[in-house]
Amino acid sequence: MAEYNPKLVCFSCKFGWDYLSEEPGRASRIANWIPVVCSGKIDTSHILKAFRSGADGVLILGCSEGHCHYQDGNIQTKKKVLLLRKVLETFGIEPQRVEMKFSLDPEGKGIPALITKMGKNLIKLGPIKRL
Amino acid sequence: MADKPKVAIYWLSACAGCDESIVDLNETLLEVAQAVDIVLWPVAMDFKYSHIESLKDEEITLSILSGAVRNSDHEEIAKLLRKKSKLVLALGACACFGGTAGLANFTSKKDIFNWVYRDAPTVVNPETKFPQTETRINGNVLTLPEFYEHVYCLDLLIDVDFYLPGCPPPPGLIASAVKAVIAGDLPPKGSTLAPRTALCDTCPRNRLKPHRIEIKQFKRIHEWEADPNTCFLAEGILCLGPVTRTGCGESCIQTNLPCRGCFGPPPGVVGAGPKYLSAVASLIKAEKDEEIQEIIDSLVDPAGYFYRFTQPSSILGRKKPWKEMEE
Repeated sequence: MAEYNPKLVCFSCKFGWDYLSEEPGRASRIANWIPVVCSGKIDTSHILKAFRSGADGVLILGCSEGHCHYQDGNIQTKKKVLLLRKVLETFGIEPQRVEMKFSLDPEGKGIPALITKMGKNLIKLGPIKRL
Repeated sequence: MADKPKVAIYWLSACAGCDESIVDLNETLLEVAQAVDIVLWPVAMDFKYSHIESLKDEEITLSILSGAVRNSDHEEIAKLLRKKSKLVLALGACACFGGTAGLANFTSKKDIFNWVYRDAPTVVNPETKFPQTETRINGNVLTLPEFYEHVYCLDLLIDVDFYLPGCPPPPGLIASAVKAVIAGDLPPKGSTLAPRTALCDTCPRNRLKPHRIEIKQFKRIHEWEADPNTCFLAEGILCLGPVTRTGCGESCIQTNLPCRGCFGPPPGVVGAGPKYLSAVASLIKAEKDEEIQEIIDSLVDPAGYFYRFTQPSSILGRKKPWKEMEE
């Protein structure tokens, strides 16, 4: 049996993550990495479409508390994702498949490590069973 | 008879509520019956499928199909009527989006069969027999339609020309739709024959809602006496008005019940579920994880509520029919 290689989609806020990066081409080396203008801009349907398109997990990187450029986009994201997790469970998708991290990483150096870490958790979960 | 347009009315996985709504056309039904030749309507009259099979392709002017597709019989008749009809109208929430029957997609065929034929307290089935598509008795073969793994809305299996949602659709909209077909005055293919705005736009409580809605606890309608003069969401009662097309006549709102979303999403929205989820989440009055979680925990079965009528047509609930998947 071929080794299971989970697909992960990562959304990150451009105001908190990777805005000072001097490393060219990082975006092209990280698969399915989607920087967005604010984590609050991530619609629930974007996350669902990621799962429908074959993603095994979704990682959302937003700004830490009090640092949202748009006042409370990160808090709106948090509320949305916590509610979405409960809905996903009914669809047979484990809540751990949507993770959030609210922090600041202007250089964006921590992003690959976070993706790898979540990827390991997804390997433990295995593929989504019911979709 | 021959020059009158032919109309077929059929129920798939339906409760006959849509047929009841057609009957509720009252005198208008007599006018319609004068103008058309009804070739199939199992709930009201006796017809043979062989008669439909003997018709030429597209000989039926309009087929009105209600109900979702749950088994092989539904699929067969839906495809037959599609072939024999110029126009197909999906009538009611089940045909348009899957309807409440579509909530079965949150469980499996196996679990449904186990409950219905084995585990439910009222069931006596000592040999644990389950329905089979073929049973041999004395050299004869008895057949039953195959119960599918998934509930489908109509347009996942056949081409649908028009949609008229609702649970059930109001008779007024049905009359307008049938008259438009008879007169040949039709909107573009794929149109929903209902207003284009959201229910909140026509809800009498909209102007009574507070400037800012903040939810500190979710309440269920049977646990709480709702104020008839306030927006349901302002009281923490889930109302799908913001993501539901209007046209129903606000019949639920008028009886002090929140909107359940039977008219489906307004134009341009693929899934009412995620849109509503985003909207409701933004109304939660909390910032800390534990506080948010506590409020969310007061919400019983959010998936069932957000997808009450739309699971089979939603982003995650939408599946290709199993036969096509195999090919």
